[in-house]
Amino acid sequence: MPEHRVTDRILLGHGSGGKLYRDLVKDIFVTAFANPVLERLDDAAALAPTGRIAFTTDAHVVQPLKFPGGDIGRLSVAGTVNDLATAAARPLALAAAFVIEEGFAVAELRAVCASMAATAREADVPIVTGDTKVVERGAADGLFITTTGVGEIVVAHDLGSAAVRDGDAVILSGGVGDHAVAILAARGEFDFRADVRSDCAPLWGLVEAAVEAARTQGGEEAVRFLRDPTRGGLTTVLAELTEESGLGIEVEEQAIPVSPAVRSVCDLLGYDPLTLANEGKMVLVTAAETADAVVAAVRATTYGRDARRIGFVTAAHPGRVALRTPFGTRRVLDMPIGELLPRIC
Amino acid sequence: MCLAVPMRITALDGFRATIAVEGLEQECSIMLVPGAGIGDYVLVHAGFAISVIDEAEAQETYDLIREIDAFDEGDDGAAGDDAERDGGADRAPDDGSAGGDDCR
Amino acid sequence: MTAADDLACLAAELREEAGPGLTFMEVCGTHTMAIARYGLRQLLPEGVRLVSGPGCPVCVTAMADLDRVLALARLPEVTLVTFGDLIRVPASRGTLAEERAAGADVRVVYSPSDAVRIAAAEPKRQVVFAGIGFETTAPTTAAALLEARAAGLTNFSMLSLHKTMPLPLRALLDLGETPVSGFLLPGHVSVITGTACYEFLAREYGIAGVVAGFEARDVLEALLMLVRQSEPEIAIQYTRAVRPEGNVVAQRLLEQVFEPSDADWRGLGVISGSGLALRAEFADADAARRFAVDPGPTLEPPGCRCGEVLRGVTDPADCALFGARCTPEDPVGACMVSSEGACAARYRYRGLDDA
Repeated sequence: MPEHRVTDRILLGHGSGGKLYRDLVKDIFVTAFANPVLERLDDAAALAPTGRIAFTTDAHVVQPLKFPGGDIGRLSVAGTVNDLATAAARPLALAAAFVIEEGFAVAELRAVCASMAATAREADVPIVTGDTKVVERGAADGLFITTTGVGEIVVAHDLGSAAVRDGDAVILSGGVGDHAVAILAARGEFDFRADVRSDCAPLWGLVEAAVEAARTQGGEEAVRFLRDPTRGGLTTVLAELTEESGLGIEVEEQAIPVSPAVRSVCDLLGYDPLTLANEGKMVLVTAAETADAVVAAVRATTYGRDARRIGFVTAAHPGRVALRTPFGTRRVLDMPIGELLPRIC
Repeated sequence: MCLAVPMRITALDGFRATIAVEGLEQECSIMLVPGAGIGDYVLVHAGFAISVIDEAEAQETYDLIREIDAFDEGDDGAAGDDAERDGGADRAPDDGSAGGDDCR
Repeated sequence: MTAADDLACLAAELREEAGPGLTFMEVCGTHTMAIARYGLRQLLPEGVRLVSGPGCPVCVTAMADLDRVLALARLPEVTLVTFGDLIRVPASRGTLAEERAAGADVRVVYSPSDAVRIAAAEPKRQVVFAGIGFETTAPTTAAALLEARAAGLTNFSMLSLHKTMPLPLRALLDLGETPVSGFLLPGHVSVITGTACYEFLAREYGIAGVVAGFEARDVLEALLMLVRQSEPEIAIQYTRAVRPEGNVVAQRLLEQVFEPSDADWRGLGVISGSGLALRAEFADADAARRFAVDPGPTLEPPGCRCGEVLRGVTDPADCALFGARCTPEDPVGACMVSSEGACAARYRYRGLDDA
């Protein structure tokens, strides 16, 4: 083992590229992420992808850094894996850039890295390169992480809103609202305790199973569209899809799973669970005849047990998402506007 | 106006009540309903209980609401069926509530 | 029977029993929301029309009052604490959200007690609570005020913009603009007030009123009760929460802390006695007296017809700005900002070619 000593707290010197920096990288990042490519400590990682690749990046600035069900580490890895998954891309490699506030506890950094490593292992993707900068106290909220990912696309056609057709099935991989409520509870601005954990999880396995089932049942182009309902929630994904595709969507309110605790918090603060952020869910649009097979395949995966078909794409009411209530009436779902605000009225 | 949620009092310390409903727990003041006790359902608005709710009547409404909210684990996931959802819906609600309507 | 069946049954009875040309007015923003959320208008028979009245406390707050709140927020020593409902409402020159982005210390709370906690935790700040809401909320701010007093806090004050319900109904009816067959009366306001204060509707105006709850079946049941009344009277559908005498403890608290004052209602003008002002003995906690602020000239947005919408005279869709210049993302008037404003609720129906 190389000899070096890392201090208790991150110092400005750790970002300066010299010995302190090298020690930090080896002791914390390389140790946690442990893979042959990273261990070379080259400035760039050489990869050998096959076929078309997907490429994505995401900055993560969550507060608090740790919350029930996860932390910024798990969030950053899962988030990028999931973005790649929306392109039907198997994650090939990740990069992670850290901006750390001077004074940040090294033990906390280790914990975040352990979390990233565990999530990366789960998703079977190595973190092969990265960067670290340290900024003065007060210039960052503890820790910001930017993850960038490269993946191998496993379908031959282009997924997206242009591929969606009248009659396609709209499938949701599970219950909504958990991540947002878990964060809200953890932030402590409104004093409540809820039986809710963030759903933060890497979903490539789920998407791979879905794509396979759709392909088997309905041919190469049966999978049309994949998107994860993060900020803005399910409503935003559906509204964007109708806007981009020029088609309409109808979903059934009762088919959308919402856990009782999430519902209670929403009732209390006046939130709509359909507009809340998720970090471990996927919206899938596939050819109608493949819906049952896709739902079954997703339900057989770890994070898709509550998957269900929630609606369909329609040529009626183009550009609009209609929600059918349990009473058979309908209302339009609009994208939420900006800040999530609790109300008393 | 206004948003108020029924919750059950699970603990009491003077006017400080711990209230809970379906996976959510918080505190409120029962200063406006000083006669409320542990086990009572109260309507909570902006951190204060404003009314004690008649439990029998409340139960009936909540059964209906929760049945609407519940998602059936046994469902094969196919929405758009014409058949009504099953989840416990055949239970007849309690009798004797207000309204005088005949829809039971 | 399932909930959907239950509602279908109520709707069927309504169709059977309701005559033509009935207009029912709801005067509670939460009812506006519930009706929109459950799509209840789609279940009503042809002859029954539901209109929204002045029931959204945010929507009925006068521009000058909003300007006063923003002016207070701009004071460097002030921490302006508010319910989330106010953050995006357009005042003459911007919103509280914009003031916050420009550096004002604006905080959102769920309970007025949280404002008191902030005052206790930050003794160097002048914590001002913006008290909006009707009789449901006013007792909670009164209680918070007493909490602050009991804790000996000198840095807590509130701006009371509270208004009370029954008087605007009288003002509305006296205007004689819309024939109202009956009122869906506010469920939670009535938890506090009880029903005696509405008796004048039946006695003096011959108009029925039913206090309704907020679930879909509550609203339909209340409409059925209205339709079935042979003699106009005030009744309670929401019996699980509302008693005829109301919440006497809360009423006493209101009397202890507040006194009736004139209040300026958007759309209805000044209605004397319809506001709640802090009594003289609480003058030290009255932000209106503690801080001298100049709210600046009041600018009503041109073309905005919120006032008429609030009186139930104009349907939101008939306002030229609706859906074009005025949308939930970029609202002109309060009726579009508040999720329970009539315009915001109405906006959700556009585009769907259904009943």
